[in-house]
Amino acid sequence: MKRLVGGIIIVLLLVAFTGFSLADWKGTITIWDAPRWPDENDDKFHWIKGKIAEFEELNPGVKIELIETPWAELGDKLSIAIAGRAWPDLVPVDISGAINKGHLDQGVVEPLDDFFTAEELADFVPGALAAYSYNDKLWGIPTSMSVHVMLLNLDHFEAAGVEPPKDGKWTWDEFVETAKALTREGNYGFTTYILKGYYEAWPFFYMDGGRPIVDGKFAFDSPEAISAIQKLVDLKFVHGAAPIEMGSADVGGAFQALAREGQRHVAMGPWNSWAIATVSTEGVNYLPNVMVAEYPVGDSGKPVTIGGAGGWVIMKQPNKEKLAKVVEFAKFLSTAEEQYKFARFYGTFPSRFSTMEMDPFADQPLMKRAMEMLEFAEAVPDHPNWAQIDERIQAELQLIFAGEKTVEQGMQDAARAVERLLR
Amino acid sequence: MLKQIWRGRSGYLFILPKFALFIVFVFIPILWSFLVSFQEYRVFDTVWVGLDNFRDAFSDDIFWMAVQNTLRYAVVVMPSTVIIALILASLINPLRRSAQTFFRAAFYLPTVASTVVLSMVWRWIFQTRFGLANYFLASLGLEPINWLHSSEWAMRSVITMAVLTPPGMGVILYLAAMSSIPDSLYEAATIDGANRLVQWWRITLPLLKPTTLYLMIVSTIGSFQVFDQVMLMTQGGPGYATTTIVHRIYQTAFRDFQFGYAGAMSMLLFFAIIVLALIQSRLVTSDVEYKG
Repeated sequence: MKRLVGGIIIVLLLVAFTGFSLADWKGTITIWDAPRWPDENDDKFHWIKGKIAEFEELNPGVKIELIETPWAELGDKLSIAIAGRAWPDLVPVDISGAINKGHLDQGVVEPLDDFFTAEELADFVPGALAAYSYNDKLWGIPTSMSVHVMLLNLDHFEAAGVEPPKDGKWTWDEFVETAKALTREGNYGFTTYILKGYYEAWPFFYMDGGRPIVDGKFAFDSPEAISAIQKLVDLKFVHGAAPIEMGSADVGGAFQALAREGQRHVAMGPWNSWAIATVSTEGVNYLPNVMVAEYPVGDSGKPVTIGGAGGWVIMKQPNKEKLAKVVEFAKFLSTAEEQYKFARFYGTFPSRFSTMEMDPFADQPLMKRAMEMLEFAEAVPDHPNWAQIDERIQAELQLIFAGEKTVEQGMQDAARAVERLLR
Repeated sequence: MLKQIWRGRSGYLFILPKFALFIVFVFIPILWSFLVSFQEYRVFDTVWVGLDNFRDAFSDDIFWMAVQNTLRYAVVVMPSTVIIALILASLINPLRRSAQTFFRAAFYLPTVASTVVLSMVWRWIFQTRFGLANYFLASLGLEPINWLHSSEWAMRSVITMAVLTPPGMGVILYLAAMSSIPDSLYEAATIDGANRLVQWWRITLPLLKPTTLYLMIVSTIGSFQVFDQVMLMTQGGPGYATTTIVHRIYQTAFRDFQFGYAGAMSMLLFFAIIVLALIQSRLVTSDVEYKG
């Protein structure tokens, strides 16, 4: 008994004098990250590498292993890792995203409520927190936000003698007239694309008040949704103000049509706000004369748009001490100062009020204008089967925009398929 | 039995590395996929569901669309690949050795090139506004076609890419088989007055039957497993116009996390390919003789 008591005293003394504690975990943390902004050597991972070096220096005995992954492969690669029960500790979510409900359903994501105080959470924009919340729990740390905006190449406007919308605000009718006037000499007023997981065209479908899911039921077959979809379809087939490929899945083609040097034959297009940084930076996609505008206002009376939030998600950890260290690292990557860097160089909006107060877009009027549109931003519907529901709706939209189905027919077919997924 | 194995141990040792890799990377995954197809596979709490996943497959409209699209692809691509390989090999075979080497390398090159690279090139060819195909149509005064984005043309475009990509492996195998046909048969035919075409029809073609059978089976398997071209060129669209079975399996497993259902579809594909291979084997090998 004396020996036992003596042992306990020795351990306690060791803890007191060496600073050793159970929470002071040592080991390797694996992080996946995707390209951010380049440095002078065109290294798009320089930011995360720098943060890793800083964190390792502050935490002797902790090693961070970085796996560089392109954004396009990240989702599939993570799914494969989850299937093989070999997930990393920390993964990013891209700026147009939100927490993946499928991953939550599999139980492979750590809830983070216990690691944040109410005061810390109060610094986050509620919409950004909402993107990482589900069933009243927080499942990730939002680090940035994005919103879909209209990008206008003003060179086309000047060449056609067309006035751009005042303050970037317009009604649907004004938008149609503008698109028609810009359609001349092989150029078109507008184009966009339709593809699973992409929502650039969707604010148009929302403009008359329609939404894909209302009260747990499919609602893109409502009169409001059908009238809005029909308006965009008519822009191509009735008004001839959009090229034949409008509404196809060609993302690269749509962007090149707006911005690529030598291929700029479309005057306007809806894009995620990341594109503002791309068209504002010297290179083949640099548009010297560009404007950011709101989506046109329809019967709902509001320039509704769709937004998303990028962030960090911590995958399931069997070791609670390691979990604490991973959270510490994730928080280290998500401070107001880091979000300021993201806003300045990566073209995202901060998800923290304290970063907004630093006025990161003081000399970037396009970003500043786009940030105002966050007020009208909505997230994509929050449903565990959303990936499958989205696929069904987008598949029908592709056929509608290819002229192979009427809007009513397409949305009725979508309704039949989606209702099963909603049950 | 053990004695026999011991006597041939050096041979078994030679095939051991390949056999071990086959077991780890092919056999076990197939077995695992078979087991998973009877489960609702989840990371932490997998449930045994019997034949439910197979029932779901049979009642899934997208799966049936994928089956139709895959059949449409295979019916055109499989025979085209074999016939084009046969024609190319027959044209190359009479050439001088140096010319043969050049053409072998030239036609084999696309086989070495990544499908990703080829698909990107073809995507550019089929690009609606700046693509080569529509440029060609415009030069003939024809209207542009929305190649990859209309249900009518998307699958035709994917098939066109497959058919026009030279079947390098087939050409090499046919050339190897042609070189093993004894010259004496052709000399005898020449004495009998048979021209080149008759010799090809009566001698070359029948003696190539084992190679043709092999290529048909391999090409059928490849056609039923078409995935990367679809993923890169059309992503299964527009709608589900180019969704193939393997593309659907991939989406179901890695996007929807329904590994059990994906496993069931994989098993259905697996058995369909086996049945087709057996039918082809029966039809073509009725008069094929293999020398021991």
